[in-house]
Amino acid sequence: MSTLDRIKDLAAKEFSIDPAGLDPAAPLDKLGIDSLSFIEFMFKIEEEFGVSVSDEDLRSIKTFADLERHIGAALAAAGKS
Amino acid sequence: MAARRRVAITGIGIVSPLGQSLAAFHAALEAGRSGIARLPEALAARTGVQVAASIDWTPPMAPGEAANLDRVAQFALVSAGQALEASGLELQAADRERIGVYWGTGMGGASTLETAYERVYGKNDWRARPLTVVMAMNNAAGSGIALKHGLRGPFANFSTACSSSAMALGEAMRTIAAGRADAIVAGGAEALLLPASLAAWFALRTLAPADAADPAASCKPFDKRRAGLVLGEGAAAFVLEDEALARARGARIHAYLTGYGNTCDATHISRPDRQGQVRAIREALGEAGLSAEAIGYINAHGTATAVGDVVEAEAIREVFGDAPVPVSSTKSMHGHLLGGAGALELAAALLALERGIIPPTAHLEAPDPACPIRHVPQRAERIPAPAAVMSNSFAFGGSNVVLVAERD
Repeated sequence: MSTLDRIKDLAAKEFSIDPAGLDPAAPLDKLGIDSLSFIEFMFKIEEEFGVSVSDEDLRSIKTFADLERHIGAALAAAGKS
Repeated sequence: MAARRRVAITGIGIVSPLGQSLAAFHAALEAGRSGIARLPEALAARTGVQVAASIDWTPPMAPGEAANLDRVAQFALVSAGQALEASGLELQAADRERIGVYWGTGMGGASTLETAYERVYGKNDWRARPLTVVMAMNNAAGSGIALKHGLRGPFANFSTACSSSAMALGEAMRTIAAGRADAIVAGGAEALLLPASLAAWFALRTLAPADAADPAASCKPFDKRRAGLVLGEGAAAFVLEDEALARARGARIHAYLTGYGNTCDATHISRPDRQGQVRAIREALGEAGLSAEAIGYINAHGTATAVGDVVEAEAIREVFGDAPVPVSSTKSMHGHLLGGAGALELAAALLALERGIIPPTAHLEAPDPACPIRHVPQRAERIPAPAAVMSNSFAFGGSNVVLVAERD
């Protein structure tokens, strides 16, 4: 499963949204995901992928596509990709 | 100054070891049925605590909602939902800036905190769940109720150990009486039947061991054989409402909350004090404008500790004299809900007020001569429905709260 698909699966569970209809380019707030919910979600993402995302990087994540990019980079840096 | 408003009870919700509705709770009290049972062997062996009144709980809400609420907040939300539904209040049409939430809990989101600590100390994993703070904070349960129903009026959270929810009810009553709110969802919840909390309670040497013959009979208030309290969990919620507004919408009125006493012993952090209790009882009677003779039933704090039961019996004797007011402790059946106790026990007292059925002190077979009050042992008693009832809540920290409810 691709990184994006894994993220979508977790998001579907966390936010009760349909992974098929999830637009990776849509702003998170347009999807009804507030900052607190997103921080809680990131805790699970970090556990799932075994990586950590810095506060600075976290602030720059506005969409699921952004998230995929950061996770991909973190996995590559950790030699996990 | 505007006239003081009378405060009606128009809805009650219960999540308890005796059932998860007011009807189920009252039926168990009437039958004298205990919800106390042995704890799972592994937990009992580690903590030393043998029995508790726990709830077999499957949260009746979406998994996503439940996952972000501590057990105590789940209890709170469910009890408040029941109370609001029973009240018939149409929230969509109501002015929700005039409807508030006053809630009580002793330990708040204990489960959330224990989970975080277990991770840190137990697994040396220092990454706590991000929602830990907002799930564990003491006001999370009450705030959850406000959020769920959009109640934007006055909000307060009381944390005075075993008097927390009684205080929430009393303060809510006065807030409505003073015209500062039209209605308030008031009550309390507790959920701390968890390893570290149980170990802490065990260390106080105040918990009853399992009754060898019948674990359900482990809590024996006012009995010579009493051996301590039994912890419970759950929640009770009331919709308190300005009488005039309740009448205008044709609401069913269970009773009126008319008296509230609130004092502090300021003598000892845990040992109760008769004078502090007497002052609270007198204040509640005074606010209701009632003499002691008007009270037809007292739901005692009655935790079944050696000292506590004697001091409370002495306080009751001091105010009521030889008047044979029936007294019982329903903790013998539902255990001690701590922050939720006062609200749950007011609901128990309403069984006497509304239907003339006095819930018993279950398992009371050998009354302690040092507690010379009019007991209601073992089985419920039927009496002509009294005009008024009282519920006592006396807490660690020396906090004493007494509530008086009346019929029309």
